[in-house]
Amino acid sequence: MSFHPQMPYGEGWHRSQRRVPPDGPPFAFTPENLARLEDICSHYPPEQRKSAIIAALYLVQEQQGYITGNAMQHVAGVIGCAPAQVEDVVSYYVMFFTRPVGTYVVQVCRTLSCALRGAERVTEALCRHLHVSPGETTPDGMFTVVEFECLGACDRAPVIMVNNEHWHECQDPDKVTELVDALRSDGVAALSGCHLVKER
Amino acid sequence: METVALTIDGKSVTVEKGKTVLQAAIESGIKVPYYCYHPGLGIDGSCRVCLVKIEKMPKLQVSCSVVAAEGMVVQTETPEVVQARAGVFEFLLINHPLDCPVCDKGGECPLQDFSYAFGPKGSRMEFARRVFDGEGVRADVDFGPTLMLNRNRCILCTRCVRFMRDVDGDAQIGIADRGYGSEIATFKEEGVHSLLSGNLMDVCPVGAITTREYRFKSRPWDNPTAVDTICTLCEKGCNTTVWLKAKPEWAKGAQLARITPRYNPEVNGYWMCDIGRFRLAWIESEARLSQPLVREGNDAQTATTWDHALDTLKRLVGAHGSEHLRFLLSAHASHEEMFALSRLARQLLGDRAQQSCTVSWAASVKSQPEHTTFSVPPIDAPNVAGARLLGLTSVPVGEAEPDLSALRAAVEAGEVRVLYVLDPGPSGSLGDTAWIVDARQSGRIASLVLQGVLESPLAAAADVVLPGACFVEKEACYTNGQGRLQATARAIPPPGQALDDCSIIVRVAAALGRPLDYRSAADIRADIAATRSDEPGLQGIADMAFAQPVATHHWLEASNPMERWKWDVMFQDLPPVKFEEMLKK
Repeated sequence: MSFHPQMPYGEGWHRSQRRVPPDGPPFAFTPENLARLEDICSHYPPEQRKSAIIAALYLVQEQQGYITGNAMQHVAGVIGCAPAQVEDVVSYYVMFFTRPVGTYVVQVCRTLSCALRGAERVTEALCRHLHVSPGETTPDGMFTVVEFECLGACDRAPVIMVNNEHWHECQDPDKVTELVDALRSDGVAALSGCHLVKER
Repeated sequence: METVALTIDGKSVTVEKGKTVLQAAIESGIKVPYYCYHPGLGIDGSCRVCLVKIEKMPKLQVSCSVVAAEGMVVQTETPEVVQARAGVFEFLLINHPLDCPVCDKGGECPLQDFSYAFGPKGSRMEFARRVFDGEGVRADVDFGPTLMLNRNRCILCTRCVRFMRDVDGDAQIGIADRGYGSEIATFKEEGVHSLLSGNLMDVCPVGAITTREYRFKSRPWDNPTAVDTICTLCEKGCNTTVWLKAKPEWAKGAQLARITPRYNPEVNGYWMCDIGRFRLAWIESEARLSQPLVREGNDAQTATTWDHALDTLKRLVGAHGSEHLRFLLSAHASHEEMFALSRLARQLLGDRAQQSCTVSWAASVKSQPEHTTFSVPPIDAPNVAGARLLGLTSVPVGEAEPDLSALRAAVEAGEVRVLYVLDPGPSGSLGDTAWIVDARQSGRIASLVLQGVLESPLAAAADVVLPGACFVEKEACYTNGQGRLQATARAIPPPGQALDDCSIIVRVAAALGRPLDYRSAADIRADIAATRSDEPGLQGIADMAFAQPVATHHWLEASNPMERWKWDVMFQDLPPVKFEEMLKK
């Protein structure tokens, strides 16, 4: 018995979702990244350095690709807070990855507008095309498919974003598989950006 | 003090400006349930059970986070509020297991009590509860060296998170996987490592956080008696409550079930440290000295009677002459004991009495986070300030280590023939004692007399051992590091033939032919008040109030006994603990 047919009980749903972050390789910010972080921190009052946790975690992902236990500890040390508080943030936001991801992280919005316009089918097509399930990386390390929360382009749903930079709007199952193929052959050049796409 | 006047349930209430509606309701004895609010932790507004109706506000408000304003009209009992509150309770119990009969908090649990009082009659939820057990996961997980966490029972009030962040100063607890997977977690599951971890059990409004020390040991209804006392394991002197288990004398195990903090805003607030909370096994341990011991010649110590022990003491002192007698006091000795012993020294030694008494204690720097708001002082003894007031030690304020150089020099020079040690504290409370044992064994001290409570190398080396009482076994006064005069209470009797330390000193004085005219500790306090009337730090010692054991059932009827601040104000029909009056004393 469940309050939603998609939410079965007893089979994992009501188990602990917690995954203790593995230590991973040793981590320390490069001097350049540390300087950038200090620059970001300077935007906040000194007693509010914790405000820079998200920025610091983005820097970790830029440097290492994903966030490990060691990285969380390093960030906590640099920011001056407890590692538990960093983990609190990492475990909440979908854009922070705790395992290695592919060269291209294809993030498909699943929030309301996109869901209404068929984002689920986009994800399905993508996953079928790449032979992965959401959250997984292809064996060649090229693509990771992630279901994302609102990307803020609801008027052109469904939306996907690649590597936190390139938006692609008004997607459908065919377009997205074409895009992935183009990415595989042409690299970043295939990411033409959303603004060139004409509205249907 | 600027005040605002508001109306709650038709009753006009005046509170200090800036207080919340919930605080106003609590202060005026109006029952509003709450979980996430704790007066020592500030406001969070996450549990939503303190809903009230405030006129001119369109929706129900969580009273813990609405600041009381002039002329507010608040309703806590309208059908709308009652129904909404019951709805919140129904949701809180969606996943909370109904294992109260086996839960450690059962019987003193606000969730249990408030659900009965304010919750719906039953639940409409039909699906299975969330359980963390199974598939390699356990609901009951280690939560550091002192605690266990049961994640099934957690209602995510975040009191523990806020305690660690705001009071302990090191936010070791966070919420992982916020959202439908929210759970209380520590980084890498390494648990809570803090000197204040025991307080997490107190702040937890359900049985999610329990201490390993008290877990499964006793249940609230097994502890029918409690005594308000103070902790004497450091110079902070936290106000505590000692809980006594109901058990026949012949039954195994300790009578002392647990020690919990008692609210005193000027000393410890709502908290106490783990040392005071968990270090209680020694009080009723097998290692307690329960009868006088005497060593004849080089034989082993033999148990004997008080008369024989005091005779032996008299013979030893007589043989060596009282001018070679020295006293070593632990700072665990109370005002009464220190004063009586120093008076005995004055009678025996006259002008040299001042130099004959030395006070010793143990000191250890506690490692605590930098920003903690509850720091545990380095001196591990309750009455160093008292020794200073009575002129027994000249170690200045701020100096943690005792000054034993004069006594050590005298022992090295062979001037000390008989050393009388008074130590009613736990093991290690005199600091390093190996040099005394060494001096006794090598003969630099001819005779060693120990008036103490625990077996120790020092007790083993002593020629006469007089068993005394520890801090929960006697009524005694101490001055804490702030210079505050506080008193312990007699919760349990001393073991076996052991006696109150004051009466031992009086008997020793009588045996040495210099009787002190004290019939009770109260006489000593009166004498202190009379002779040291000029000392502001000792004012009021003659009429110190000592708490008596009280029945705890009314606390259990009310709610979580850890939160006595609550029913002291909320349940006025019950025997109240009036902090204001106590503070005036």
